[in-house]
Amino acid sequence: MGEAPHTVKSYEEELKNLNANIIKMGSACEDSLGKAIQAITTRNSDIAETVIRDDEKIDKFETLVEQQVVNLIALRQPMAIDLRETVTALKMSSDLERIGDLAKNISKRTLLLNENLPKNLVDALNRVSTSVQKQLKSTLDAYLERSASMAVNVWESDEQIDDLTNLCMQEVIKYLKEDEKNLDDGTHLLFVTKNIERIGDHTTNVAEQIYYLVKGEYLEGERPKGTEPIVTGEK
Amino acid sequence: MIKIKAKNVDVFYGKKQALYNIGLDIEENQVTALIGPSGCGKSTFLRCLNRMNDVIDICSVKGEILINDFNINDKSCDVVRLREKIGMVFQKPNPFPKTVYENISYGPTIHGMAQSKQEMDEIVETSLKKAALWEEVKDRLHEPGTGLSGGQQQRLCIARAISVRPEVILMDEPCSALDPIATAQIEELIDELKKEHTIIIVTHSMAQAARVSQNTGFFHLGHLIEHGSTDKIFKNPDNTKTQDYITGRFG
Repeated sequence: MGEAPHTVKSYEEELKNLNANIIKMGSACEDSLGKAIQAITTRNSDIAETVIRDDEKIDKFETLVEQQVVNLIALRQPMAIDLRETVTALKMSSDLERIGDLAKNISKRTLLLNENLPKNLVDALNRVSTSVQKQLKSTLDAYLERSASMAVNVWESDEQIDDLTNLCMQEVIKYLKEDEKNLDDGTHLLFVTKNIERIGDHTTNVAEQIYYLVKGEYLEGERPKGTEPIVTGEK
Repeated sequence: MIKIKAKNVDVFYGKKQALYNIGLDIEENQVTALIGPSGCGKSTFLRCLNRMNDVIDICSVKGEILINDFNINDKSCDVVRLREKIGMVFQKPNPFPKTVYENISYGPTIHGMAQSKQEMDEIVETSLKKAALWEEVKDRLHEPGTGLSGGQQQRLCIARAISVRPEVILMDEPCSALDPIATAQIEELIDELKKEHTIIIVTHSMAQAARVSQNTGFFHLGHLIEHGSTDKIFKNPDNTKTQDYITGRFG
Protein backbone atom coordinates (compact mmCIF):
# COMPACT_ATOMS: atom_id res chain seq x y z
CA MET A 1 0.00 0.00 0.00
CA GLY A 2 1.81 3.04 -1.32
CA GLU A 3 -0.54 5.78 -0.06
CA ALA A 4 0.12 8.21 2.78
CA PRO A 5 -0.84 6.77 6.16
CA HIS A 6 -4.30 7.33 7.64
CA THR A 7 -4.75 10.03 10.25
CA VAL A 8 -6.36 7.39 12.50
CA LYS A 9 -3.51 4.99 13.24
CA SER A 10 -5.68 2.09 14.42
CA TYR A 11 -7.51 2.12 11.05
CA GLU A 12 -4.17 2.02 9.27
CA GLU A 13 -3.17 -0.96 11.45
CA GLU A 14 -6.40 -2.82 10.69
CA LEU A 15 -5.92 -2.46 6.94
CA LYS A 16 -2.27 -3.53 7.19
CA ASN A 17 -3.30 -6.51 9.25
CA LEU A 18 -5.89 -7.56 6.68
CA ASN A 19 -3.30 -7.24 3.94
CA ALA A 20 -0.81 -9.31 5.96
CA ASN A 21 -3.37 -12.08 6.51
CA ILE A 22 -4.09 -12.34 2.78
CA ILE A 23 -0.36 -12.62 2.12
CA LYS A 24 0.02 -15.29 4.79
CA MET A 25 -3.02 -17.15 3.47
CA GLY A 26 -1.62 -16.94 -0.06
CA SER A 27 1.73 -18.37 0.97
CA ALA A 28 -0.02 -21.16 2.89
CA CYS A 29 -1.86 -22.04 -0.34
CA GLU A 30 1.35 -21.86 -2.37
CA ASP A 31 2.98 -24.17 0.16
CA SER A 32 0.09 -26.67 0.13
CA LEU A 33 -0.07 -26.77 -3.66
CA GLY A 34 3.69 -27.33 -3.89
CA LYS A 35 3.55 -30.12 -1.33
CA ALA A 36 0.47 -31.73 -2.90
CA ILE A 37 2.25 -31.93 -6.25
CA GLN A 38 5.45 -33.17 -4.63
CA ALA A 39 3.48 -35.83 -2.74
CA ILE A 40 1.73 -37.19 -5.82
CA THR A 41 4.73 -37.15 -8.14
CA THR A 42 7.17 -38.62 -5.63
CA ARG A 43 4.54 -40.87 -4.02
CA ASN A 44 5.15 -39.53 -0.52
CA SER A 45 2.23 -40.19 1.88
CA ASP A 46 3.74 -38.20 4.76
CA ILE A 47 3.77 -35.02 2.71
CA ALA A 48 0.23 -35.73 1.47
CA GLU A 49 -0.94 -36.02 5.07
CA THR A 50 0.67 -32.68 5.94
CA VAL A 51 -1.29 -31.03 3.13
CA ILE A 52 -4.54 -32.55 4.42
CA ARG A 53 -3.79 -31.32 7.95
CA ASP A 54 -2.73 -27.84 6.83
CA ASP A 55 -6.02 -27.16 5.08
CA GLU A 56 -7.53 -26.30 8.43
CA LYS A 57 -5.09 -23.41 8.79
CA ILE A 58 -6.15 -22.05 5.42
CA ASP A 59 -9.82 -22.36 6.37
CA LYS A 60 -9.14 -20.42 9.56
CA PHE A 61 -7.51 -17.64 7.57
CA GLU A 62 -10.67 -17.34 5.51
CA THR A 63 -12.82 -16.95 8.64
CA LEU A 64 -10.37 -14.42 10.08
CA VAL A 65 -10.31 -12.35 6.89
CA GLU A 66 -14.10 -12.42 6.71
CA GLN A 67 -14.38 -11.16 10.29
CA GLN A 68 -11.86 -8.40 9.65
CA VAL A 69 -13.68 -7.30 6.50
CA VAL A 70 -17.05 -7.21 8.27
CA ASN A 71 -15.51 -5.17 11.09
CA LEU A 72 -13.89 -2.72 8.69
CA ILE A 73 -17.13 -2.19 6.79
CA ALA A 74 -19.20 -1.83 9.96
CA LEU A 75 -16.81 0.34 11.94
CA ARG A 76 -14.66 2.23 9.42
CA GLN A 77 -16.82 2.57 6.31
CA PRO A 78 -13.83 2.35 3.97
CA MET A 79 -13.89 4.47 0.80
CA ALA A 80 -12.04 4.45 -2.54
CA ILE A 81 -8.78 2.43 -2.40
CA ASP A 82 -9.56 1.28 1.15
CA LEU A 83 -12.94 -0.01 0.01
CA ARG A 84 -11.33 -1.86 -2.88
CA GLU A 85 -8.68 -3.31 -0.55
CA THR A 86 -11.40 -4.55 1.78
CA VAL A 87 -13.70 -6.03 -0.83
CA THR A 88 -10.81 -7.60 -2.76
CA ALA A 89 -9.48 -9.23 0.42
CA LEU A 90 -12.86 -10.86 1.01
CA LYS A 91 -13.10 -12.19 -2.54
CA MET A 92 -9.47 -13.32 -2.63
CA SER A 93 -9.84 -15.22 0.62
CA SER A 94 -12.71 -17.21 -0.80
CA ASP A 95 -10.74 -18.22 -3.92
CA LEU A 96 -7.64 -19.00 -1.86
CA GLU A 97 -9.72 -21.19 0.44
CA ARG A 98 -10.90 -23.19 -2.59
CA ILE A 99 -7.30 -23.58 -3.71
CA GLY A 100 -6.53 -25.05 -0.29
CA ASP A 101 -9.46 -27.46 -0.59
CA LEU A 102 -8.38 -28.62 -4.03
CA ALA A 103 -4.80 -29.20 -2.86
CA LYS A 104 -6.20 -31.23 0.02
CA ASN A 105 -8.35 -33.27 -2.37
CA ILE A 106 -5.29 -34.02 -4.54
CA SER A 107 -3.50 -35.27 -1.42
CA LYS A 108 -6.42 -37.45 -0.32
CA ARG A 109 -6.38 -39.11 -3.74
CA THR A 110 -2.58 -39.44 -3.54
CA LEU A 111 -3.00 -41.66 -0.47
CA LEU A 112 -5.29 -43.98 -2.49
CA LEU A 113 -3.03 -44.35 -5.53
CA ASN A 114 -0.82 -47.34 -6.27
CA GLU A 115 2.94 -46.98 -6.05
CA ASN A 116 3.88 -47.06 -9.71
CA LEU A 117 2.61 -44.58 -12.23
CA PRO A 118 3.94 -44.41 -15.79
CA LYS A 119 6.74 -41.85 -16.18
CA ASN A 120 5.14 -39.93 -19.06
CA LEU A 121 1.99 -39.47 -16.96
CA VAL A 122 4.01 -38.14 -14.02
CA ASP A 123 5.83 -35.83 -16.46
CA ALA A 124 2.55 -34.51 -17.85
CA LEU A 125 1.24 -33.89 -14.32
CA ASN A 126 4.47 -32.10 -13.44
CA ARG A 127 4.23 -29.86 -16.48
CA VAL A 128 0.73 -28.61 -15.80
CA SER A 129 1.27 -28.27 -12.07
CA THR A 130 4.57 -26.39 -12.48
CA SER A 131 2.70 -23.96 -14.69
CA VAL A 132 -0.11 -23.51 -12.13
CA GLN A 133 2.40 -23.08 -9.29
CA LYS A 134 4.17 -20.37 -11.27
CA GLN A 135 0.84 -18.72 -11.95
CA LEU A 136 -0.08 -18.70 -8.26
CA LYS A 137 3.29 -17.27 -7.31
CA SER A 138 3.02 -14.50 -9.91
CA THR A 139 -0.48 -13.69 -8.69
CA LEU A 140 0.66 -13.31 -5.10
CA ASP A 141 3.58 -11.18 -6.31
CA ALA A 142 1.12 -9.03 -8.25
CA TYR A 143 -0.85 -8.55 -5.01
CA LEU A 144 2.28 -7.63 -3.07
CA GLU A 145 3.40 -5.18 -5.75
CA ARG A 146 -0.12 -3.93 -6.48
CA SER A 147 0.74 -4.53 -10.13
CA ALA A 148 -2.09 -4.56 -12.66
CA SER A 149 0.25 -5.57 -15.50
CA MET A 150 1.48 -8.63 -13.59
CA ALA A 151 -2.16 -9.56 -12.93
CA VAL A 152 -2.93 -9.28 -16.65
CA ASN A 153 0.03 -11.58 -17.45
CA VAL A 154 -1.42 -14.21 -15.13
CA TRP A 155 -4.85 -13.78 -16.65
CA GLU A 156 -3.43 -14.37 -20.11
CA SER A 157 -1.41 -17.42 -19.06
CA ASP A 158 -4.57 -19.34 -18.15
CA GLU A 159 -4.77 -20.42 -21.79
CA GLN A 160 -1.50 -22.31 -21.54
CA ILE A 161 -2.73 -24.14 -18.45
CA ASP A 162 -5.84 -25.28 -20.30
CA ASP A 163 -3.65 -26.75 -23.04
CA LEU A 164 -1.32 -28.52 -20.59
CA THR A 165 -4.37 -29.88 -18.75
CA ASN A 166 -5.64 -31.40 -21.99
CA LEU A 167 -2.29 -33.05 -22.67
CA CYS A 168 -2.32 -34.48 -19.17
CA MET A 169 -5.89 -35.71 -19.59
CA GLN A 170 -4.80 -37.51 -22.78
CA GLU A 171 -2.05 -39.28 -20.85
CA VAL A 172 -4.53 -40.35 -18.15
CA ILE A 173 -6.96 -41.65 -20.77
CA LYS A 174 -4.15 -43.60 -22.45
CA TYR A 175 -3.31 -45.10 -19.03
CA LEU A 176 -6.98 -45.99 -18.45
CA LYS A 177 -7.19 -47.75 -21.80
CA GLU A 178 -4.04 -49.81 -21.21
CA ASP A 179 -5.47 -52.08 -18.57
CA GLU A 180 -8.75 -52.52 -16.74
CA LYS A 181 -6.82 -52.65 -13.45
CA ASN A 182 -5.90 -48.99 -13.99
CA LEU A 183 -9.54 -47.94 -13.62
CA ASP A 184 -9.37 -46.85 -9.94
CA ASP A 185 -6.07 -44.97 -10.23
CA GLY A 186 -6.99 -43.50 -13.59
CA THR A 187 -10.22 -42.08 -12.22
CA HIS A 188 -8.36 -40.46 -9.33
CA LEU A 189 -5.84 -39.04 -11.76
CA LEU A 190 -8.59 -37.51 -13.90
CA PHE A 191 -9.84 -35.71 -10.81
CA VAL A 192 -6.33 -34.69 -9.80
CA THR A 193 -5.74 -33.18 -13.24
CA LYS A 194 -9.05 -31.39 -13.16
CA ASN A 195 -8.29 -30.09 -9.65
CA ILE A 196 -4.99 -28.64 -10.80
CA GLU A 197 -6.75 -26.90 -13.66
CA ARG A 198 -9.36 -25.51 -11.29
CA ILE A 199 -6.62 -24.16 -9.03
CA GLY A 200 -5.47 -22.31 -12.14
CA ASP A 201 -8.99 -20.94 -12.60
CA HIS A 202 -9.18 -19.71 -9.01
CA THR A 203 -5.77 -18.12 -9.43
CA THR A 204 -7.02 -16.33 -12.52
CA ASN A 205 -10.03 -15.10 -10.49
CA VAL A 206 -7.62 -13.68 -7.93
CA ALA A 207 -5.65 -11.99 -10.72
CA GLU A 208 -8.87 -10.34 -11.92
CA GLN A 209 -9.55 -9.12 -8.39
CA ILE A 210 -6.06 -7.66 -8.12
CA TYR A 211 -6.59 -5.80 -11.38
CA TYR A 212 -9.78 -4.30 -9.93
CA LEU A 213 -8.00 -3.44 -6.70
CA VAL A 214 -5.29 -1.50 -8.53
CA LYS A 215 -7.26 0.04 -11.38
CA GLY A 216 -10.73 0.43 -9.87
CA GLU A 217 -12.23 -1.10 -12.99
CA TYR A 218 -12.90 -4.60 -14.20
CA LEU A 219 -10.66 -6.51 -16.58
CA GLU A 220 -12.58 -6.33 -19.82
CA GLY A 221 -12.93 -9.03 -22.41
CA GLU A 222 -13.21 -12.77 -22.59
CA ARG A 223 -10.81 -14.74 -20.45
CA PRO A 224 -8.29 -16.41 -22.82
CA LYS A 225 -9.10 -20.10 -23.19
CA GLY A 226 -7.09 -23.01 -24.56
CA THR A 227 -8.38 -25.78 -26.76
CA GLU A 228 -11.67 -27.27 -25.62
CA PRO A 229 -11.09 -29.81 -22.87
CA ILE A 230 -11.57 -33.48 -23.67
CA VAL A 231 -13.36 -34.08 -20.40
CA THR A 232 -15.76 -31.22 -20.04
CA GLY A 233 -16.13 -29.57 -16.70
CA GLU A 234 -17.32 -26.33 -15.19
CA LYS A 235 -15.48 -23.26 -16.29
CA MET B 1 -29.20 19.02 -18.41
CA ILE B 2 -26.92 21.66 -16.95
CA LYS B 3 -28.72 24.04 -14.59
CA ILE B 4 -25.78 26.03 -13.29
CA LYS B 5 -22.52 26.68 -15.06
CA ALA B 6 -19.66 28.30 -13.12
CA LYS B 7 -16.85 29.63 -15.32
CA ASN B 8 -13.50 30.98 -14.13
CA VAL B 9 -14.85 32.02 -10.75
CA ASP B 10 -12.34 33.81 -8.48
CA VAL B 11 -13.35 35.08 -5.06
CA PHE B 12 -11.36 37.46 -2.88
CA TYR B 13 -11.85 38.48 0.73
CA GLY B 14 -9.95 41.76 0.61
CA LYS B 15 -6.55 40.81 -0.80
CA LYS B 16 -6.85 37.18 0.16
CA GLN B 17 -7.98 34.92 -2.64
CA ALA B 18 -10.50 32.30 -1.45
CA LEU B 19 -11.41 30.63 -4.75
CA TYR B 20 -9.23 30.09 -7.80
CA ASN B 21 -10.64 29.75 -11.29
CA ILE B 22 -13.54 27.47 -10.40
CA GLY B 23 -15.30 25.81 -13.32
CA LEU B 24 -18.19 23.56 -12.42
CA ASP B 25 -21.35 22.37 -14.15
CA ILE B 26 -24.30 21.49 -11.95
CA GLU B 27 -26.94 19.18 -13.35
CA GLU B 28 -30.62 19.89 -13.08
CA ASN B 29 -32.73 17.80 -10.69
CA GLN B 30 -29.67 16.18 -9.22
CA VAL B 31 -27.98 16.54 -5.87
CA THR B 32 -24.43 17.86 -6.05
CA ALA B 33 -22.33 17.55 -2.91
CA LEU B 34 -19.40 19.87 -2.23
CA ILE B 35 -16.82 18.39 0.10
CA GLY B 36 -13.43 19.43 1.41
CA PRO B 37 -11.65 20.40 4.62
CA SER B 38 -12.61 23.53 6.56
CA GLY B 39 -11.57 26.70 4.78
CA CYS B 40 -11.34 25.03 1.37
CA GLY B 41 -13.86 27.42 -0.18
CA LYS B 42 -16.86 25.14 -0.59
CA SER B 43 -19.24 27.39 1.39
CA THR B 44 -17.84 30.47 -0.33
CA PHE B 45 -18.63 28.84 -3.66
CA LEU B 46 -22.13 27.92 -2.49
CA ARG B 47 -22.73 31.53 -1.46
CA CYS B 48 -21.68 32.70 -4.94
CA LEU B 49 -24.68 30.89 -6.39
CA ASN B 50 -27.25 33.25 -4.84
CA ARG B 51 -24.96 36.26 -4.46
CA MET B 52 -24.89 35.89 -0.68
CA ASN B 53 -21.29 37.12 -0.77
CA ASP B 54 -22.68 40.56 -1.70
CA VAL B 55 -23.45 41.15 1.97
CA ILE B 56 -19.75 40.86 2.87
CA ASP B 57 -18.16 44.25 2.12
CA ILE B 58 -14.63 43.05 1.45
CA CYS B 59 -15.74 40.14 -0.71
CA SER B 60 -15.44 40.37 -4.48
CA VAL B 61 -16.48 37.76 -7.01
CA LYS B 62 -15.07 37.51 -10.53
CA GLY B 63 -16.04 35.22 -13.37
CA GLU B 64 -19.36 33.97 -14.65
CA ILE B 65 -22.09 32.02 -12.95
CA LEU B 66 -24.76 31.07 -15.44
CA ILE B 67 -28.10 29.91 -14.13
CA ASN B 68 -30.44 28.97 -16.97
CA ASP B 69 -27.76 30.58 -19.20
CA PHE B 70 -28.12 33.95 -17.43
CA ASN B 71 -25.05 35.40 -15.75
CA ILE B 72 -26.13 36.20 -12.20
CA ASN B 73 -23.04 38.37 -11.68
CA ASP B 74 -24.32 40.69 -14.41
CA LYS B 75 -25.36 44.18 -13.29
CA SER B 76 -28.85 43.62 -14.68
CA CYS B 77 -29.46 40.74 -12.28
CA ASP B 78 -32.27 41.39 -9.77
CA VAL B 79 -30.90 39.87 -6.59
CA VAL B 80 -34.29 39.63 -4.89
CA ARG B 81 -35.71 37.66 -7.83
CA LEU B 82 -32.53 35.59 -7.88
CA ARG B 83 -32.94 34.59 -4.24
CA GLU B 84 -36.55 33.69 -4.91
CA LYS B 85 -35.27 31.20 -7.48
CA ILE B 86 -32.35 30.02 -5.39
CA GLY B 87 -33.37 29.05 -1.85
CA MET B 88 -30.96 28.39 0.97
CA VAL B 89 -30.87 26.27 4.12
CA PHE B 90 -28.18 26.86 6.71
CA GLN B 91 -26.17 24.79 9.17
CA LYS B 92 -28.16 25.85 12.22
CA PRO B 93 -31.93 25.85 11.93
CA ASN B 94 -32.89 29.55 11.89
CA PRO B 95 -36.68 29.86 11.91
CA PHE B 96 -38.08 33.38 12.29
CA PRO B 97 -39.29 34.16 15.82
CA LYS B 98 -42.82 33.82 14.50
CA THR B 99 -45.42 31.10 14.24
CA VAL B 100 -44.95 27.98 12.13
CA TYR B 101 -47.51 29.39 9.67
CA GLU B 102 -45.84 32.79 9.41
CA ASN B 103 -42.45 31.19 8.84
CA ILE B 104 -43.82 29.65 5.67
CA SER B 105 -46.12 32.49 4.55
CA TYR B 106 -43.42 35.19 4.83
CA GLY B 107 -41.72 34.48 1.49
CA PRO B 108 -44.89 33.98 -0.59
CA THR B 109 -46.27 37.20 0.95
CA ILE B 110 -43.33 39.40 -0.01
CA HIS B 111 -43.20 37.85 -3.47
CA GLY B 112 -46.99 38.34 -3.82
CA MET B 113 -47.63 34.71 -4.58
CA ALA B 114 -51.05 34.34 -2.93
CA GLN B 115 -54.18 36.30 -3.73
CA SER B 116 -56.32 35.07 -0.82
CA LYS B 117 -56.09 33.55 2.63
CA GLN B 118 -57.18 30.23 1.12
CA GLU B 119 -54.35 30.28 -1.43
CA MET B 120 -51.84 31.05 1.32
CA ASP B 121 -53.22 28.18 3.44
CA GLU B 122 -52.61 25.89 0.47
CA ILE B 123 -49.03 27.08 0.00
CA VAL B 124 -48.32 26.57 3.71
CA GLU B 125 -49.82 23.09 3.72
CA THR B 126 -48.09 21.98 0.48
CA SER B 127 -44.72 23.33 1.62
CA LEU B 128 -44.98 21.60 5.00
CA LYS B 129 -46.08 18.38 3.33
CA LYS B 130 -43.17 18.50 0.89
CA ALA B 131 -40.84 19.07 3.83
CA ALA B 132 -42.39 16.00 5.54
CA LEU B 133 -43.42 18.13 8.52
CA TRP B 134 -47.17 18.59 8.00
CA GLU B 135 -48.32 15.64 10.09
CA GLU B 136 -46.22 16.77 13.04
CA VAL B 137 -47.26 20.45 13.04
CA LYS B 138 -50.73 20.64 11.49
CA ASP B 139 -52.24 21.23 14.95
CA ARG B 140 -49.52 23.67 16.00
CA LEU B 141 -49.48 26.04 13.03
CA HIS B 142 -49.95 29.09 15.22
CA GLU B 143 -47.36 28.18 17.83
CA PRO B 144 -43.82 29.62 17.60
CA GLY B 145 -41.55 27.87 15.09
CA THR B 146 -38.74 28.11 17.60
CA GLY B 147 -40.66 25.75 19.90
CA LEU B 148 -40.13 22.80 17.55
CA SER B 149 -37.32 20.25 17.97
CA GLY B 150 -34.03 20.85 16.14
CA GLY B 151 -34.86 18.41 13.35
CA GLN B 152 -38.36 19.85 12.98
CA GLN B 153 -36.96 23.39 12.90
CA GLN B 154 -34.61 22.41 10.08
CA ARG B 155 -37.49 20.89 8.12
CA LEU B 156 -39.43 24.08 8.80
CA CYS B 157 -36.56 26.03 7.25
CA ILE B 158 -36.63 23.70 4.25
CA ALA B 159 -40.42 24.20 4.01
CA ARG B 160 -39.82 27.96 4.18
CA ALA B 161 -37.23 27.70 1.41
CA ILE B 162 -39.48 25.67 -0.90
CA SER B 163 -42.60 27.81 -0.24
CA VAL B 164 -41.49 30.26 -2.96
CA ARG B 165 -40.93 27.36 -5.37
CA PRO B 166 -37.23 27.90 -5.97
CA GLU B 167 -35.52 26.10 -8.83
CA VAL B 168 -32.39 25.54 -6.84
CA ILE B 169 -31.89 24.83 -3.12
CA LEU B 170 -28.50 25.48 -1.53
CA MET B 171 -27.82 23.61 1.69
CA ASP B 172 -24.87 24.51 3.88
CA GLU B 173 -24.28 21.56 6.24
CA PRO B 174 -28.00 21.17 6.90
CA CYS B 175 -27.62 18.17 9.21
CA SER B 176 -24.58 19.02 11.28
CA ALA B 177 -26.70 20.07 14.27
CA LEU B 178 -29.11 17.15 14.02
CA ASP B 179 -29.30 13.65 15.49
CA PRO B 180 -29.13 10.58 13.20
CA ILE B 181 -32.91 10.17 12.96
CA ALA B 182 -33.50 13.81 12.04
CA THR B 183 -30.54 13.52 9.63
CA ALA B 184 -32.13 10.50 7.95
CA GLN B 185 -35.40 12.42 7.60
CA ILE B 186 -33.62 15.34 5.92
CA GLU B 187 -31.71 12.96 3.64
CA GLU B 188 -34.95 11.25 2.64
CA LEU B 189 -36.39 14.71 2.01
CA ILE B 190 -33.44 15.69 -0.20
CA ASP B 191 -34.12 12.59 -2.28
CA GLU B 192 -37.74 13.66 -2.73
CA LEU B 193 -36.97 17.35 -3.35
CA LYS B 194 -34.56 16.67 -6.18
CA LYS B 195 -37.51 15.65 -8.37
CA GLU B 196 -38.55 19.29 -8.49
CA HIS B 197 -35.43 21.19 -7.48
CA THR B 198 -31.73 21.18 -8.18
CA ILE B 199 -29.87 20.73 -4.91
CA ILE B 200 -26.34 21.68 -3.92
CA ILE B 201 -25.24 20.57 -0.50
CA VAL B 202 -22.09 21.38 1.41
CA THR B 203 -21.29 18.66 3.93
CA HIS B 204 -18.45 17.56 6.14
CA SER B 205 -19.87 14.07 6.33
CA MET B 206 -18.36 11.98 3.58
CA ALA B 207 -20.92 9.29 4.22
CA GLN B 208 -23.70 11.83 3.78
CA ALA B 209 -22.25 13.10 0.51
CA ALA B 210 -22.05 9.50 -0.69
CA ARG B 211 -25.61 8.75 0.43
CA VAL B 212 -27.47 11.78 -0.92
CA SER B 213 -25.65 13.05 -3.98
CA GLN B 214 -25.26 11.98 -7.59
CA ASN B 215 -22.32 14.29 -8.24
CA THR B 216 -19.53 15.41 -5.95
CA GLY B 217 -16.97 18.18 -6.11
CA PHE B 218 -13.88 18.15 -3.93
CA PHE B 219 -12.41 21.52 -2.93
CA HIS B 220 -8.99 22.07 -1.40
CA LEU B 221 -7.30 25.40 -0.59
CA GLY B 222 -9.65 27.29 -2.88
CA HIS B 223 -9.24 24.97 -5.86
CA LEU B 224 -11.77 22.55 -7.25
CA ILE B 225 -9.57 19.47 -7.30
CA GLU B 226 -11.96 16.97 -8.77
CA HIS B 227 -15.57 16.83 -9.82
CA GLY B 228 -17.51 13.83 -11.07
CA SER B 229 -20.13 11.25 -10.33
CA THR B 230 -20.35 10.45 -6.63
CA ASP B 231 -20.00 6.80 -7.49
CA LYS B 232 -16.64 7.40 -9.15
CA ILE B 233 -15.35 9.86 -6.53
CA PHE B 234 -15.96 7.43 -3.67
CA LYS B 235 -14.91 4.22 -5.39
CA ASN B 236 -12.09 5.28 -7.65
CA PRO B 237 -11.21 8.99 -7.67
CA ASP B 238 -8.71 10.20 -10.28
CA ASN B 239 -6.84 12.59 -8.03
CA THR B 240 -4.57 11.49 -5.17
CA LYS B 241 -5.64 14.46 -3.05
CA THR B 242 -9.28 13.46 -3.39
CA GLN B 243 -8.44 9.90 -2.42
CA ASP B 244 -6.34 11.02 0.55
CA TYR B 245 -9.17 13.23 1.77
CA ILE B 246 -12.04 10.78 1.47
CA THR B 247 -10.04 7.90 2.94
CA GLY B 248 -8.89 9.93 5.93
CA ARG B 249 -5.24 10.31 4.98
CA PHE B 250 -5.07 14.09 5.07
CA GLY B 251 -2.57 16.18 6.99
